[in-house]
Amino acid sequence: MSENKVLGADLYNKKSSEKVAIEATGIHKKYRVYLDKGYSLKEKALFWKRNRYEERWVLKGIDLKVMQGEAVGLLGVNGCGKSTFLKLLSRIMYPDQGEVKINGRVSCLIELGAGFHPDLSGRENIYTNAAIFGLTKKEIDARLQDIIDFSELEDYIDNPVRTYSSGMYMRLAFSVAINVDADILLIDEILAVGDANFQAKCFKKLSELKRQGMTIVIVSHDIGTIERFCDKGLWIKDGLCASEGIIKKVVNDYREFLEEERQAALEKEVAAKTKRVESGEDDEQKEKTPKTFLDPTATKDDIDYAANRFGLGYAVITNVVLRDAKGKINTTFTEGQTCSFDIHYQIKKPSKEYIFGMAIMSKDWYMLYGTNQREDGKPTALPGDTGVVTFTINNLNLKTGRYIFSVSIIDENETPMDFYRNYCEFDVVSDKGGIGVVQIDHDWVIQDGKKEDGDT
Amino acid sequence: MVKVIKELYDYRQMIIGFVKRDLKGRYKASVLGFLWTFINPLLQLLVYTLVFSTIMRNGIPEYYLFLFVALIPWIFFATSISGGSGCVVSQNTMVTKIYFPREVLPVSYVTSAFVNMLLTYIVVFAVVILTGHTLDPIALLFLPLIMIVEYFLALGITLITSALTVYFRDLEYIMSIVTMAWQFLTPVMYDVSILDGSPRLQTIFYMNPMTSVIIAYRDIMFYHKVPQLNTLVVAVCMGMLFTILGFEIFGKLKRRFAEEL
Repeated sequence: MSENKVLGADLYNKKSSEKVAIEATGIHKKYRVYLDKGYSLKEKALFWKRNRYEERWVLKGIDLKVMQGEAVGLLGVNGCGKSTFLKLLSRIMYPDQGEVKINGRVSCLIELGAGFHPDLSGRENIYTNAAIFGLTKKEIDARLQDIIDFSELEDYIDNPVRTYSSGMYMRLAFSVAINVDADILLIDEILAVGDANFQAKCFKKLSELKRQGMTIVIVSHDIGTIERFCDKGLWIKDGLCASEGIIKKVVNDYREFLEEERQAALEKEVAAKTKRVESGEDDEQKEKTPKTFLDPTATKDDIDYAANRFGLGYAVITNVVLRDAKGKINTTFTEGQTCSFDIHYQIKKPSKEYIFGMAIMSKDWYMLYGTNQREDGKPTALPGDTGVVTFTINNLNLKTGRYIFSVSIIDENETPMDFYRNYCEFDVVSDKGGIGVVQIDHDWVIQDGKKEDGDT
Repeated sequence: MVKVIKELYDYRQMIIGFVKRDLKGRYKASVLGFLWTFINPLLQLLVYTLVFSTIMRNGIPEYYLFLFVALIPWIFFATSISGGSGCVVSQNTMVTKIYFPREVLPVSYVTSAFVNMLLTYIVVFAVVILTGHTLDPIALLFLPLIMIVEYFLALGITLITSALTVYFRDLEYIMSIVTMAWQFLTPVMYDVSILDGSPRLQTIFYMNPMTSVIIAYRDIMFYHKVPQLNTLVVAVCMGMLFTILGFEIFGKLKRRFAEEL
């Protein structure tokens, strides 16, 4: 029995590692970007200048080798050239340099229902569509029932496809594409249509086909799907290969890049906001500024305590910057890690002391925790007119969810200067077990039952 | 080219599908439907008979038949090269989104026009026989040959025009003028003997690949005789030349179809 098992494993390995299905070497592709294209004779003759074009290199040397039975995911941001690459693999387009070698029949799902004729019935479209993949009538006849069954369109198969919903379209197109006995299947971001059940069914079928030795190349923005389904990955960035190999590694590299991008965008946004606030151009800020801030004669009694932001405005909060454990600007934190809130302030009327406070609330406004500098017995003297007070949480013991951050400044008499209930929201992600809102430090111990019996 | 033809054979179902769809769809909304394939040439014949036997008499006996046997093959040729020039452009959604040998499009177009001509030729046969003519059986053997030659000639030229039209859209309209001029340079409406006086013009005429084809059709169907050997040889050679040329040029130009469309 164990011998059989070994033999089986051997066969499996052989199948998936010996034959090259796709080999692309040094693929370069350029597009002509016409400044103002004229197609007709008149335009061509009269406006020579219009036919000027810029050449834009979309792919600048991509290599890819896919073995039979492998699934490869192509990753990259919009416009990075991954769809172009897929079109080159499918021979819809040809590379300007380099070579694509394909072993076997290719089936592709690049555009939803391309080649469907809206006036023909689903059944007739199966024939035309399968013929586009190079099947003869006899071959299609043999597969017709499988195709209809998989598409779950039994009741609609004789209706014209123009009456179909986009989900039904996709189901029919997918059913045809996977039933044409292709050796290689190319898929471009179309599984997004269709309900979750059908999607799951598709992936189940794809896994089955993969086991049978079908080679699959997928383009998708759904990194999770790619990570789960593919063996290998290729991340294309600016027309070059940024990372390739085992899917885990490629996905990690890509995620890291995305995180950096997000970070940079966030920092830019915060910098812009700070600038706006400092120069007093922030409309959002102005709108939210309570009336009492602008009125120097206002007293404690004038304060509208029900407002989201209230106070006398002798000292105001100009900005709060949230930072994660690495000190990077972020609004998403991990449970158990450090996070900090830089509270930028401005003092308009000096006082002996101004006390900073904070609170964290759940989305349903339930106060989880709140404190201030006086409660904590911390020094409260402020050195200048403007500055930053940082509030740090060393071990964020919140569970996954979204939380509200409130911030406040009060004076020594506890008169609110700037009380901001819903300053901002932040997210917490947790990879630890347990449910609820907070992580409570705990332990489990199993006592020896017999011993206990003996004791009593 | 061999590779392309082999691939086209694999994709035969697609070509059959296209041709069927085209033939079925042609008279789809009309009351008489497919019957128009036969009625249309009959009505044309009626008009020609009326015009040329009563209004514009010329020296050729039974001119309507003289014209008819050559006009039907000419219409096939003209439809192929002028209508067929837009066959790739009109299928741009498919060309940019899925792979299939691009040659399928011109091949399907020409084949569908060819099948249409074959059906029309049934009417030609009926008319020839009903007007009391007896066809020469040996001459008839050459009819399939000349039809195949014409098919490949039309295919070769359509391959070239359809590929060029992708890059230069005006060609589709230019082609309709070109085919009109071409018709007058081909002995469709007259006999080639009117050029007997000027051998230089005759040489130019024989460089036109359709001249030999039309002469052969008329020899078989009107004069009931076997076409001359040199007519056949010229026709076959021209057919082969244009087919090879067509596939080669199409093969070069098809590489950038998806981007140009």
